Amino acid sequence: MSSKHDILNALKSAAIAPQAMPVINISPRIDDLVGQFETSLNTVAGTLHRDGGLAKLQAQVDEHIANGMQIISMVDGIKANRQVTETAHQLKDIDYAVISGDLAVAENGAIWVNNKNLGHRVTPFICENLFLVVDANNIVANMHQAASRITLAPGEFGTFIAGPSKTADIEQALVVGAHGACSLNVYLI
Amino acid sequence: MSTSTPAIHAQKAEIFCQDEARVDWHSKALWVLREKRDRAAGSLPEWEQLRQIGSEMKLHTLTHLAQYLEEFEQNCIQNNIQVHWAKDGAEHNRIVHDILAKHDVKKLVKSKSMLTEECHMNPYLEQRGIEVIDTDLGERIIQLAKQPPSHIVVPAIHLKKEEVGELFHDKLGTDAGASDPLYLTRAARAHLRQQFLSADAAMTGVNMAVADKGAVVVCTNEGNADMGANLPKLQLHSMGIDKIVPNIDSAAVLLRTLARNATGQPVTTYSSFYRGPQEGGEMHVIIVDNGRTDMLKDKILAESLKCIRCGGCLNTCPVYRRSGGYSYNYTIPGPIGIAVGAKSDDTNSIPWACTLCGSCSYVCPTKVPLDKIIHHHRRLKAEAGKLPYGKASYMPLVGKFMASETALNCSMSMARTALKILPGSLLKPFSGAWGKYRELPIAPNSSFEAWFKKNRG
Amino acid sequence: MSARIDERNTMKIALFIPCLVNQMVPEVGIATLELLEKLGHQVILPKGQTCCGQPMTNSGCYNEAKKTTLKLLNAFKGVECDAIVCPAASCLVAAKENFHEFDSSPEAQAVIDKLYELTEFLHDVSPIPAFNKPFPHKISLQMSCHGIRMLDLATPSEQMGPRTNKFEAVLAAIPEIEIVYPERRDECCGFGGTFALDEGAVSAKMGKDKAQAHAETGAAYAVGFDPSCLLHIDGMVRRQKLPIETRHIAQIINAAL
Repeated sequence: MSSKHDILNALKSAAIAPQAMPVINISPRIDDLVGQFETSLNTVAGTLHRDGGLAKLQAQVDEHIANGMQIISMVDGIKANRQVTETAHQLKDIDYAVISGDLAVAENGAIWVNNKNLGHRVTPFICENLFLVVDANNIVANMHQAASRITLAPGEFGTFIAGPSKTADIEQALVVGAHGACSLNVYLI
Repeated sequence: MSTSTPAIHAQKAEIFCQDEARVDWHSKALWVLREKRDRAAGSLPEWEQLRQIGSEMKLHTLTHLAQYLEEFEQNCIQNNIQVHWAKDGAEHNRIVHDILAKHDVKKLVKSKSMLTEECHMNPYLEQRGIEVIDTDLGERIIQLAKQPPSHIVVPAIHLKKEEVGELFHDKLGTDAGASDPLYLTRAARAHLRQQFLSADAAMTGVNMAVADKGAVVVCTNEGNADMGANLPKLQLHSMGIDKIVPNIDSAAVLLRTLARNATGQPVTTYSSFYRGPQEGGEMHVIIVDNGRTDMLKDKILAESLKCIRCGGCLNTCPVYRRSGGYSYNYTIPGPIGIAVGAKSDDTNSIPWACTLCGSCSYVCPTKVPLDKIIHHHRRLKAEAGKLPYGKASYMPLVGKFMASETALNCSMSMARTALKILPGSLLKPFSGAWGKYRELPIAPNSSFEAWFKKNRG
Repeated sequence: MSARIDERNTMKIALFIPCLVNQMVPEVGIATLELLEKLGHQVILPKGQTCCGQPMTNSGCYNEAKKTTLKLLNAFKGVECDAIVCPAASCLVAAKENFHEFDSSPEAQAVIDKLYELTEFLHDVSPIPAFNKPFPHKISLQMSCHGIRMLDLATPSEQMGPRTNKFEAVLAAIPEIEIVYPERRDECCGFGGTFALDEGAVSAKMGKDKAQAHAETGAAYAVGFDPSCLLHIDGMVRRQKLPIETRHIAQIINAAL
C-alpha cells in the first residue's frame, strides 16, 4: 500500500493545471459501409465473402473436413468436426475455427469478438486459420461508433481482429501468419 | 572500439556511420515506414483533429491521474484483477518475481513491453531461475542475438535478413544460408508455438488501461500477446502510470492513430481488451512509476508522458535513422528516447543528438512537443553544469565574443582572410568537424556591413 | 501585423542581417537590400547588430546568450520603421524567441511584432507586383526546418489537410522558372548549428544525402531561405563535386527584378 500512497502523493506536485476532457465529435464516413469494410479488410490481408452467407461457409467447412482438416465451430448453424476441448492447450491442432463477431468496423477492417463466443479465449489465436461471421447490419463506420457498441461485461475478454496475424520484423518484409491465425475469411450474413 | 564506460552519442554515431551502405539501408527502411504513415494519416480527413483530441485527452488524464488510477484500481478489483504498485524498476521486478515464485513458474512468455526493458526485468528473472521467452518475432530475434532493442516497434530493424538467417540456423536449426523472411518467420512460429504451449505464465505490456472499465488493452500484429495471455492460467500486465485513459471512447481515439502512425496499418491486427482473467485463471496488473511522477513536476517534460509508443518519431528522425538505436545510451532511442531518457543519460550527450528540426513533433499522434522537450533538456543539463562536447568551456567565450561587435568583426575579418590566402589542406586541421566532412566556405571580400557603409552610407 | 503600407505601397524597412550573413554571405544581404529597394521600399541598416543568441540557447546556455541577444534587441528598439526584415529564417525564429525570453517589455514586443523573414514578408506583407526578367532555370527548393515548421512558410510534410507553400508561391511568379523538389522534400539537411560540429559524422551524412537529393533533380540551383543550411549544403556539394550550386531566395528574386 505504501508505494501506491507514495505515487498518488507524488502526483500532487504535478506542474500542469488540470485540463478539460475534449469532446470527441468526429463525423463518420457513412457511405457504402460494406464497400469500405471490404477495402479495409483487404488492406489488412483478410478476405470478405459478401454473398452466400452461412450456406457458403458450411460448404467451405465441409470441403476442408473432407480434406482431413480439424475444424471447430462456435457459430450456430455451422457444423464442424471438433468440440470445445477441456483445456485451451488441446486446441493446438485446430486447422480452422469458425467464430461469430459482434460488429465490424468499416474504417479498418476490424471485427469485435467477445469471449462469450469463443469457448476458450485462445481459440481465434491458436487456430491455423480463422473464419469470422458477421451480420452485415452490424458494420459501423469507425472506432468511435464501435467503442459505444462493443460489449465487454465485467470479467470479460474481447478483441478487435483485423486480418490474419502478421509481422514485418525481418527487414520490413510483410509475412502473413506470425503467431495467430495465418488466414482470415469473413462471411457476411 | 568498445569501452566499459558508455560513449557519447556522437562517438557511437560516428562508428555507425562508417558503413555508409548500411546507414543508407537503415535510413531507407525506416523512411519507408514514414511514407506508409503519411499515406495512412492522409487517408483520414480527420487526422489532425484526432491528433488534437488525442493530445487533449492525454493531458486531461495526466492532470487527473490520481483520480483515474484509483478508479482503475477499484474497477480492476471488482473484475477479479489483482493490482500492484511499484515506485521503480526494482520494485516492479520484485513484485513480478514474487507472483511468479508463488506459482512456481519456470517459464514466462512475454510480449513486447518497453516498460520491462526500462526495468531490466528479463535479467532479474533469469538470475532467479525463470526462463523468459520474448515472443514478438523481432524481440525473439534480438533475445537470441543477446542484443537490446534498437527500435521500440521494430526492435530488430538494424539486422539484415541474412544475419537473422545465420542466427536462426545457429539457434533454431533452420537451413544454413536460408534468409527468406517467410521461411524464417514460419520457423520462429513453430519454435514459439512450443514455448506458448509449455509456458507457466504470460506477461504483456499495456497500450491503454481503461479506467472506467478496469480493463487493459494490448495491441499486437503477431498475436503473441493473446497466445501467451490466454494459454497459461497466470497472466501479468505491466504498465506505466501514463497508460491510463478515462474510457473506451478515449481508447478508440488512440487505436485510430497508433498503428497508422507506427506502420501505416489502419489498426493493429489484434487490439485486445482484458477485463478479467480467464476461467480459473489469475490476472495481475503492475502499475509502475519509475520516474514518471518526477517528469510530471516539470511542465515541459510532463508532456512526454502523452506518448503512446508508436515509434513514429524514430522513423522520421533524420538523426536516429543515421545513427542507429544503440547510440542513445538509453533503452528507448530516438526523439522520445531523448525526451524520457536524457535525465538518466550519464554521457549528457543525447539531448544534442538532434538538429531541432521539429519533424517528430509534427509526426506525433498525441502532439508531444518533442523538439521543445529536447531543447529544454539542454537547458536543464546546462543549468546542472553537465554540458558535453566542451561546451561548458567554449560557450561562455562564444557568448562574450558574439556580444561584441568589434571582436566579432575583427576576428571574422581575419577568418575571411585566412580562408582566402591559406590553402585548404592547411586550414582543414584547424576547422575541425566542418572541414573534415565539407569544403570550407568560400570567403567573401568584405562583410555586408562594410559593403553597406561603402555603397549606401 | 504591425506592418503598414502607405498609398505608394512603400515602406521603411530595417534590415536584420544575422552575423553569418554579414560575415560569410554578404551577397545575400546585398540581394535582399537591392530587391527591397527595387520594390520601392526605403531600406535602412540599424547599427550595432550582433548574434541572435541561437548558438548559445540551442546549446542550453541561456546565461551566455543573454548579453548578445539583448544587444541585438537594443539595435532595433526605437528604430523608426514599418518592418524589420531578415533573410535567414532560423535566426529570425531564434531572435523572436530569445527577445521574448530575455525582455518582456512593450518595447521588446514592438520589435518582435515587426520581425519578418524575407519570404514571409514578400508573401504576406508586400507581394511583388510583377517580375521584369525571366529566370530560365530549374531550381530545387531547400525547405529548411525552422522556416517550414516554426514560421509556417510551407505546410510540413508530416501535417495532413490543406497545404500552403509561401516559398513556392513567391518564386513561382518568376517568368520561365522551373521549380522542383528533392526526394524527402523537407527532411533536415543536418546543419543544426553547433550540431554540425558536435555530431560531425551524422551532420555530414545528412548534408551529403540532401546535396545529392538536390543534384538528382537536375536543377541548376538549390534555392533556400536559410543561409546557414545553404552554407552547409554548399560545403557538401563542393566536396562531392556535384553539378549544382546553392542560392538564396533573395538572389533569385533580385535577378528577376
